[in-house]
Amino acid sequence: MSTATKSLDRLSEGRLVLSEDWLSVAIGLAVFVLALAGLSGTDFLGWVVTTSVWTDPGKALAPISKVYGELGGAGALIVTYLALLAILSAAAAALKAHVARFAIAFSAVFWIAYASWIVGSYAYLAAVTPADLQKFGIGWSLKLTNEGGFIVALLAGIVIANFFPRFAEWLREAIRPELYIKIAIVILGGFLAVTFASKLNLATSLVLRGVAAIVEAYLIYWAVVYFIARKWFGFSREWSAPLASGISICGVAASIATGGAIRARPAVPVLVSSLVVIFAVVEVLILPWLATLFLSHEPLVAAAWIGLAVKTDGAAVAGGGITEALILAKNASEGIRYQPGWILGTTAAVKIFIDVFIGIWAFLLAYIWTNHINVTRDKAKAVEIWQRFPKFIIGFVATFAVGLVLALTSAPATLAKLTPAIGEANTFRVIFFILTFFSIGVLSNFPKLWQDGFGKLAAVYFVSLFGFVIWVGLLISWLFFAGVTPPLAS
Amino acid sequence: MSKLEVQRELEKAHAEPLLPVEKQLIGWSLGIGFTLLVILALFSRFLPGA
Repeated sequence: MSTATKSLDRLSEGRLVLSEDWLSVAIGLAVFVLALAGLSGTDFLGWVVTTSVWTDPGKALAPISKVYGELGGAGALIVTYLALLAILSAAAAALKAHVARFAIAFSAVFWIAYASWIVGSYAYLAAVTPADLQKFGIGWSLKLTNEGGFIVALLAGIVIANFFPRFAEWLREAIRPELYIKIAIVILGGFLAVTFASKLNLATSLVLRGVAAIVEAYLIYWAVVYFIARKWFGFSREWSAPLASGISICGVAASIATGGAIRARPAVPVLVSSLVVIFAVVEVLILPWLATLFLSHEPLVAAAWIGLAVKTDGAAVAGGGITEALILAKNASEGIRYQPGWILGTTAAVKIFIDVFIGIWAFLLAYIWTNHINVTRDKAKAVEIWQRFPKFIIGFVATFAVGLVLALTSAPATLAKLTPAIGEANTFRVIFFILTFFSIGVLSNFPKLWQDGFGKLAAVYFVSLFGFVIWVGLLISWLFFAGVTPPLAS
Repeated sequence: MSKLEVQRELEKAHAEPLLPVEKQLIGWSLGIGFTLLVILALFSRFLPGA
């Protein structure tokens, strides 16, 4: 069983999924509330470390708030590490993980992941505009923006998984991409609310367009992938349903929810999930660059496409972050400056809309399976919809709602403090993204996957994903988002 | 589940023909999906930003 599989095995235990979901809500809300204390003049989170594009390593790091300037960059990094270590070790205790082992592994994860982020901010990798090149005194740059650090973190994780498998196994206790990305998404809600508040009509229209994503993922993708798996590849129903959900809906969570719904053996969706992670990594390494190459003048088509095509919340939302950085950079080099947040927000909205309906789709499948296919006494119950509902979405909705109300109703003086306060929370969101990217990389043990004899499963995934899912996703993203562009930065 | 068990499972997996209820599920999903997409695509023309 691969490292990925072992790690994902824990996700198949319903109680643990619930705990991880609720923990992400608690941690995400705590960061959001502490950040909002800034509105009353108390800066609780200003010590969190942020990284600028650099050529002089001594100037790369700094605390986000000048109030904590005395800490310096290295001090801010150490305080950030200690704070995250304390919070996440408490979370590990709540998850009944081995806390000491988690703390040691998390320390390695944090320092490697954040070092990757710092490397990604090196000016030769990250500088974008001619003015930036001149400012840093360099003649060229890969123009990845400092969010290219996500890719550096992902590659670092992949290298560890594939060349240092024993080290990857040693890190396993702290390799929790689902937890990290859910915390990030809860925090992201507040950031998106403040961004969207400036153009509420456009934001509303994006949400309505996002409904199309649900129709596509559940009704069209699922049916076609299920048919391909059953008819062309001859898989049984027990394998085909979790596989169809994994490829078409939302990766790991959907695959596990579907496995439970059709009463499959727990190992089936867990093995499918390990495939999902591998292919999500491949997509994140390819699609943002394709989107930038061909869709830089249709930024929201690119955003929706990433949300529809990349499976797993972590890879999709983080992929949206990379796509935003690359597309904004490309447009900036052509003199067009879009407001940040809209591309990432569109990708996140598409993904979250899809997530919301996992429970309902799983219930529908459970009803059909338990009443018409494998008729059992263990009938589908309506309560399963709630049990399978991804609870972190409650946290996202809460921060989004509070952020929106504050952005729309606050007096100008309060509003002036809102943006930096949300900025502090958003800095944590970026750190959790970095941890997610690195963790996904560490789960991507490519050779071991093939050793496990999953060739046929992988073939279905490959045919469905690259032959159908990403192209239909592109078509539908174009149909609904073409001509809709983010507001220009003021 | 070991490697051998997975391979054995995948080899024997072709024994299940598509049941009428599965065909209905696929057919209804695609039918409703494409119909809704057309309706939503038409509706989206009237949304701001289009």
